[in-house]
Amino acid sequence: MASTKAILVDITKCIGCRSCEQACKQIHGFPSDTEAKLSPTALTVIEERGDKFVRRMCMHCQDPACASACLVGALKKSAAGPVTYDGSKCIGCRYCLVACPFSVPRYEWAKLVPYVKKCDMCSERQLKGQLPACVEACPVQASTSGTRDDLLEEAQRRIFADSKYVRHIYGSDEAGGTSVFFISDVPFEKLGFVTPPKQALPLLTASALGDGPTVILVGGALLSGLYWITQRRALVALAEAREKSAKERS
Amino acid sequence: MITGRIPRISFWRTVVAIIFAGGIYSMYARFALGLKAATHLTDPQPWGLWVGLGTLCGVGLSAGGFAIAASVYLLGLDRYRPILRTAVLISFLGYCTVCVGMLYELGIPWRIWHPIIMWNRHSVLFEVSWCVMLYTTVLALEFSPALIEKLPWAKPRELYLRWHHSILIALVLIGTLLSSMHQSFLGGLYLITKGRLDPLWYTPYLTTMFYLSAIPAGLALTIMAIYLCVRSLNVRVDMRLLSDVSQVIGPLLAIWGVFRFVDIINRDALAYLWMWREETALFWLEIFLLVIAPLFLLNMRKVKQNPQYLYGTCALIVMGFMTNRLNVSITALQASSGIYYVPKWTEFAASLATITAAVVAFHYAVRYLDILPKNSPTKKWIAASAPARA
Repeated sequence: MASTKAILVDITKCIGCRSCEQACKQIHGFPSDTEAKLSPTALTVIEERGDKFVRRMCMHCQDPACASACLVGALKKSAAGPVTYDGSKCIGCRYCLVACPFSVPRYEWAKLVPYVKKCDMCSERQLKGQLPACVEACPVQASTSGTRDDLLEEAQRRIFADSKYVRHIYGSDEAGGTSVFFISDVPFEKLGFVTPPKQALPLLTASALGDGPTVILVGGALLSGLYWITQRRALVALAEAREKSAKERS
Repeated sequence: MITGRIPRISFWRTVVAIIFAGGIYSMYARFALGLKAATHLTDPQPWGLWVGLGTLCGVGLSAGGFAIAASVYLLGLDRYRPILRTAVLISFLGYCTVCVGMLYELGIPWRIWHPIIMWNRHSVLFEVSWCVMLYTTVLALEFSPALIEKLPWAKPRELYLRWHHSILIALVLIGTLLSSMHQSFLGGLYLITKGRLDPLWYTPYLTTMFYLSAIPAGLALTIMAIYLCVRSLNVRVDMRLLSDVSQVIGPLLAIWGVFRFVDIINRDALAYLWMWREETALFWLEIFLLVIAPLFLLNMRKVKQNPQYLYGTCALIVMGFMTNRLNVSITALQASSGIYYVPKWTEFAASLATITAAVVAFHYAVRYLDILPKNSPTKKWIAASAPARA
């Protein structure tokens, strides 16, 4: 996974110009009005927290809960890094919205044929060698992109070089690790960041699903055994009754 | 006579008509105006009443069919045979409401078949959808003789019934396994919400919890339905049978209750039991309705012997079960989602209409098919000395 793509957001550098928001809206053809929260027409937003600007977007987990939840496999972790969505498969069950630990996916509630909307890290642009639109638009390099390993190294270098940084890279181990990282000079919980479990969330359901075959094998054997006993009992009872009536007749 | 063709206006017919009128408007709202117009669902609360009530309660309360079928055919508890068809019919209609409910709930309902060819084996919902599809088919097959035996053509009828007889045990066995799997996997759906589902409900054993509570609740609903049949459809059932079933429900609920508390102690969540908050109040409501009150009532002689009291007790159990499922799907996620979800009236109306349709179908099935033995016009409960025969 050394060459998977990632994004690093340095909150200390963001000036809140919202160029990333606008660039995102532009390449998706969304109306350009600024929105306060993520929505089907705002796949990334800048949230103001005190004097800080916090960018919100899909975290592109290494082992995404949404992709494991999606029953038709519409959501996938691509080999290149982004978590992508294939609308032609989606049936609209919205389990991905329930499953996402960062509450990122949005649903087009107002539409008659609604789809899930979320950032795909400009997957197609990246395949062509271009930068994600938001990163390209950032005038101060608060958002940078590159390979996951390089960005982790860079983030590490920054937080250890300057004592103003919180000594944690948000995304390095959250939900088992993500492909979007944040570094900050204010504790993350004060900026509205959630604290999801440190393990990859699909592991939680994998163990339950793993019990399925056991249930079938053990349960099937047990029930067949019980049925055999039931049958056998009925046969014995029948034979005994016959014997009895034969004796009575003789 | 013309007057004979016009349905009489009675109280219940009026109620059903009002419910269906609400249902038709909800159908219009959902399919012509969209999810936003028909529901109060939002991104932080993507699953609401239709999943909590329609799916979780619908599937759970339909557990009676597989429990009774397995008891009769696999465990050889032949004395429950008289209520077998009723139990299977309730389950079948229950799963039908779940499938219809899915059409309301899915954003793109005409793609409901997608899981058949688009697989994701890592998804709990994928397993649930397959189990529900297969088990609904199994239930349809299990119930089919009740319809087929009414066919006027002797040859195909006998052919079908013979074929059905030869596969029946296999059907029951598969049905039991499928039920056991998806009843638990419905709880498994919420395993992935770790850290967001309230500690009073989140446990790695959510699957077991769901399985253990579904069986007694399904049996309780079966008792309720049979009581109503005896009361107003003039059929014949031995009261002792219902009483026997209720004596199985008690221990099952006790096991669930003990398991629930041991789990809470194990997870160090005891502190949440005494907090002053809505979640805790609803938790205690669930425990009271599903464990404390039934265990107390089911041990009373009066309840064991009086069908009406037994009916009331079973109603409490069903309500407790519904509280539990709605707690998991709505209450327990409320705090982390940060919004307060109250279903829109059209959500209630759609669910109510679907359930009512199933009740109406059940009513006509009992009346016109051989589901329960019909009574001679006067007697209601047969004397305790004469055992019922199917």
